[in-house]
Amino acid sequence: MVAIKLIPHILSWVGIVLILLRGFPERKRVVAVAVGAGFALGVAGTFFLFRSFPGDFSFSLIRDVVGGSFLLLWGIAVASIYRSTVRNFPLSWGERFFASIFFAGVGAFMSGMIAGAISVCRLGTSGGMLMLLILVLVACVLVFESLAIERLLPPSFTVSNSALMAGVVALLLFSSSSILRLDLFSPLSMKVMKFTHDFVHQFFESMLIPDHLFIHIHLWRYIGLLFGKEVGFWGGLIIWFAPAILIALAISFERLPSVAHIRQGAQRRTVVATAIRARRFRLVVPGITILVLAGAGYQSRFPAVEYWDPKPIVISAGPSGEIVIPLKGEVDLKDGKLHKYLFSQGGKEARFFVLMTPTGQLTVDLDACAICKPDGYGQTEGTVLCYYCKTLIPLETVGKPGGCNPVPIHFTEKKDGVYIDGLTLINTWSTTVQTTARVKEGSK
Amino acid sequence: MKRLLRIIWAILFSRATPPFVIGFFLLVYVGIAFITDETLIALMRYTRTSFFLTAMLALLPLNFAVRLVVETIGYLKMRRVVMVSTEDVQPGLFDETVELTVTSSFEQLQSHLEALGYKTRRIAGALGAWRGISIFPARILFIAGVFLLYAGILISLTTRTSERVAIVEGEKFSSSTGESGIVERITFEPSSGLILAKKLSMEVAASSGKGKNVFGVYPPSLYQGAFVYPRYLGIGLFFNFTAPELPAGYETFSPLNIYPPGKEATSVIPGSPYRLVFSLVGPDDETDPYTTGRMNFNFKLLKGKDLVLTGSAPRGGEFVRDGYRLAFRDSRRLVITDFIRDYGVLMIWASGILFVIAGCFWLPVRIFFPRSEMLFRSGPDRIQAFSRAEGRGRKHEGVFHEALDLLEMRRTDRKSFEG
Amino acid sequence: MATAIIETTSLTRNYGDICALKPLDLQVPEGEWLSVMGHSGSGKSTLMNLVGGLDRPSAGSLQVGGKDLLALTEDGLARFRREFVGIIFQQHHLVPYLSAVENVMMAQYFHSVPDEAEARLALERVGLGHRLKNRPGELSGGEQQRVCIARAIINSPKLLLGDEPTGNLDHKSTVMVMDLLKELRDEERFTIIMVTHNQEVAAWGDRTIYLDDGVLVREERMNS
Ligand SMILES: Nc1ncnc2c1ncn2[C@@H]1O[C@H](COP(=O)(O)OP(=O)(O)OP(=O)(O)O)[C@@H](O)[C@H]1O
Ligand SMILES: [Mg+2]
Repeated sequence: MVAIKLIPHILSWVGIVLILLRGFPERKRVVAVAVGAGFALGVAGTFFLFRSFPGDFSFSLIRDVVGGSFLLLWGIAVASIYRSTVRNFPLSWGERFFASIFFAGVGAFMSGMIAGAISVCRLGTSGGMLMLLILVLVACVLVFESLAIERLLPPSFTVSNSALMAGVVALLLFSSSSILRLDLFSPLSMKVMKFTHDFVHQFFESMLIPDHLFIHIHLWRYIGLLFGKEVGFWGGLIIWFAPAILIALAISFERLPSVAHIRQGAQRRTVVATAIRARRFRLVVPGITILVLAGAGYQSRFPAVEYWDPKPIVISAGPSGEIVIPLKGEVDLKDGKLHKYLFSQGGKEARFFVLMTPTGQLTVDLDACAICKPDGYGQTEGTVLCYYCKTLIPLETVGKPGGCNPVPIHFTEKKDGVYIDGLTLINTWSTTVQTTARVKEGSK
Repeated sequence: MKRLLRIIWAILFSRATPPFVIGFFLLVYVGIAFITDETLIALMRYTRTSFFLTAMLALLPLNFAVRLVVETIGYLKMRRVVMVSTEDVQPGLFDETVELTVTSSFEQLQSHLEALGYKTRRIAGALGAWRGISIFPARILFIAGVFLLYAGILISLTTRTSERVAIVEGEKFSSSTGESGIVERITFEPSSGLILAKKLSMEVAASSGKGKNVFGVYPPSLYQGAFVYPRYLGIGLFFNFTAPELPAGYETFSPLNIYPPGKEATSVIPGSPYRLVFSLVGPDDETDPYTTGRMNFNFKLLKGKDLVLTGSAPRGGEFVRDGYRLAFRDSRRLVITDFIRDYGVLMIWASGILFVIAGCFWLPVRIFFPRSEMLFRSGPDRIQAFSRAEGRGRKHEGVFHEALDLLEMRRTDRKSFEG
Repeated sequence: MATAIIETTSLTRNYGDICALKPLDLQVPEGEWLSVMGHSGSGKSTLMNLVGGLDRPSAGSLQVGGKDLLALTEDGLARFRREFVGIIFQQHHLVPYLSAVENVMMAQYFHSVPDEAEARLALERVGLGHRLKNRPGELSGGEQQRVCIARAIINSPKLLLGDEPTGNLDHKSTVMVMDLLKELRDEERFTIIMVTHNQEVAAWGDRTIYLDDGVLVREERMNS
């Protein structure tokens, strides 16, 4: 069972080690030691991190580190495209740094560390020290295996610096995207959606472009696409794949060696053909990277997790307009699970849920957030998930407003149950949810 | 001091500066995203208020301005080099540079290259050959466009001022620059434009009394140095309200943001618990009440939180019940308008135009007539040869290599072999 | 004497029971033009195929350009053919729907990368500068064979093999083709081995060997 859970991580681990070994062919030993040591330290560090800060902080820390490496990859991608298209681009110091033993060691160490941390996130710390020791051992054995496999790869298969970075980061993303709470793609598309909306709005205002009142409806429909739900997904995809694609482009734009000094045509062509062949081989890793990123994006879009998604219980208010839900009736409100209710009054409906957070606090929230279409939430390990934008909200923060968090509702907790004002509920639902629904759908 | 100047010059000159600056702002954006959801707006605010961020942003237009000059000089130099008008050849500007230990007067080479469609120029031991059109104009337009874009963003961010004014038919309006003349007419009509579905025009008499200004929607008109940016349509309603506790009545003019029909706006009766919520009734036919001026109003009267009564009445009509009376004296079209002082907008528009022109030039030239050049210079015992191509490089290189082969092997006399 | 570019000892090729080439010892010095004559079925083509790396011997040793062809892998042999040998056959084997210059570029493509200027120059060298865009069907036999020569020499081979290249040509074209080959050889200094039934053609070479039933029966040195 544990082994099956670890399959994506093991695959990525072997891939990372292989790419690192090929990327630094002169420093294989340094790389092997550094990556192994990094893994061990990553595992140990994460273990203690989870011990000291159980819950969301540790996860988001590791997720941010992975995200940081993705940002770094973006930098490398842009630099490499500049390098291969701009004459005399000042980058020689960067290349010297890449070629140094320091970089090989530190890079391998960091990669190992992140990979180790991700594996611990998957395993959890409940297995204790022994489990983690076995994990480190397995990783080290795999490093040795990879050393052997690497020798079998064809010698013409070389990895450029930028492709090395792309491959390692993509595999780390692949590894982390199989863990819901480390997932980066969904928050990315969410941010992209928000950015696009803001940007289009700001752009219209800045450029004094008239409102939809004055513009042809069919034209406005196209503009409306920018406010639609898919824009986050597609924009996210672009940002997700762009670094790998840029690196691949940079490699294919690389200048071929000058052969003007050779006076025999056949020899000239041989040199050029050899260079083209080598260039094609260097494209292999970016190509694989794109596939790995696609895999990571897929895992994130269609996570292999079961949701707790209860059917809303229809409920009505008493004569005073107050809804009362008993603490221990048909359902136990304090069992830590999501309990959904459907309330209707005067032809209007509102969906909400009651949940006890891990800190022991009851919270009542709309089954919708202020940003997305009200598709509602499901519950998974340690989080609730917005079905619409696939954002995970840690249980600890449910009950706080903002972002894609469920909109909190005022309530009073008494001995016998939870009291909610029906009118407030309906009003909150119509003001927040109806507007989001209208913006999202109405502009279409 | 000198060192500092050198560093500043290097930053302005370097091609690495724009990606670094943009990357820096991206990082700031990511950082802000941790703090607030309104990231873009926060970033714009910080950039406006922080001297450091403004200076960072200013590096972009400055860098491209320097680029504009540097690349123009570079291009002119290159042109002189290939036209064999200068001795000063920088090998770094070419794709390929090579030296042959032979000598030649290039006469045969010249005719050979001309036969292949190259234009040539031979002066005293040097031969320049070129074909196609340089993409330099597109490049320079592009850089100028980028310069204008960033300069526009910078200026717009730092100097934009905006003032919201309700322009009401038949009234004067006052902005920070003083009072205007009477707004003579506001018309709102369907338009057959490609983009705009409606045509709005506001005719305002000049405050001096002579002549008038007409404001449209797009492109925005200029009024006393500010762009006129109509935001919403509304109705200015003159009404008279009497209630049992308010027998004296209350008369006011209220600008209401109630267009399109169905949209609600509230007017509070001061010194009383009453609020009136108005909306415009859509006509039965397809006409637009704002266009025709045939307006019917729905209203709700609220006392505190309680609904007292609802009803409707046309412009000029009145509604009486239970001691309440509401009379609509008159209604006027109004347009909520922003007066915006922002000359960065002009630059951003201009940059868009430049990008389009640059693209229209670049694409066909790059595809059909890419520029390629070569230069041969003969010294006392050797020949230096240079070549570069902006497109279809492989083919041009083939010709270049062949030319070198011809020079070295003197094979040009071999074409006599015909059957 | 210059170093030998081809060196065979007891080179043998059997097709089942048929022994097409009996054990043969042959040395060809670099830069020589060797003519091979013999009756039909005497094993001339078999020898050419072995030397050109198109076929593998049944027994014996075969060194070409310092390489032991028996020791080469299939990939190595393909590479050898690509970089070391140019071949001209009696049938031209040109691609009918490609122009002359494209046919030559095709050879460049299989060798490394195409280069139009160089292909054009090669055709100019064989006197076809004015027929670049014509397809093989629009060229005379002699012209076709000259395209083949351009194609054979485009990759600067060390060894040029001709298997009755003038077999289908009339006297005038034959002379033209042979003149051309001689001129090219003087410039490029490659080694030529040419199979022919024509005594006059053989006389263009430095040396002629006669095969009969797979055996080298006679050898004759020309003194031009
Ligand atoms: N692939 C083959 N399979 C079987 N026998 C073959 C094969 N190729 C050649 N032979 C036989 O080997 C012998 C030598 O043939 P080869 O083609 O070398 O003769 P040649 O001297 O080139 O004759 P020609 O002058 O007619 O071209 C012939 O008897 C032929 O039948
Ligand atoms: Mg034969």
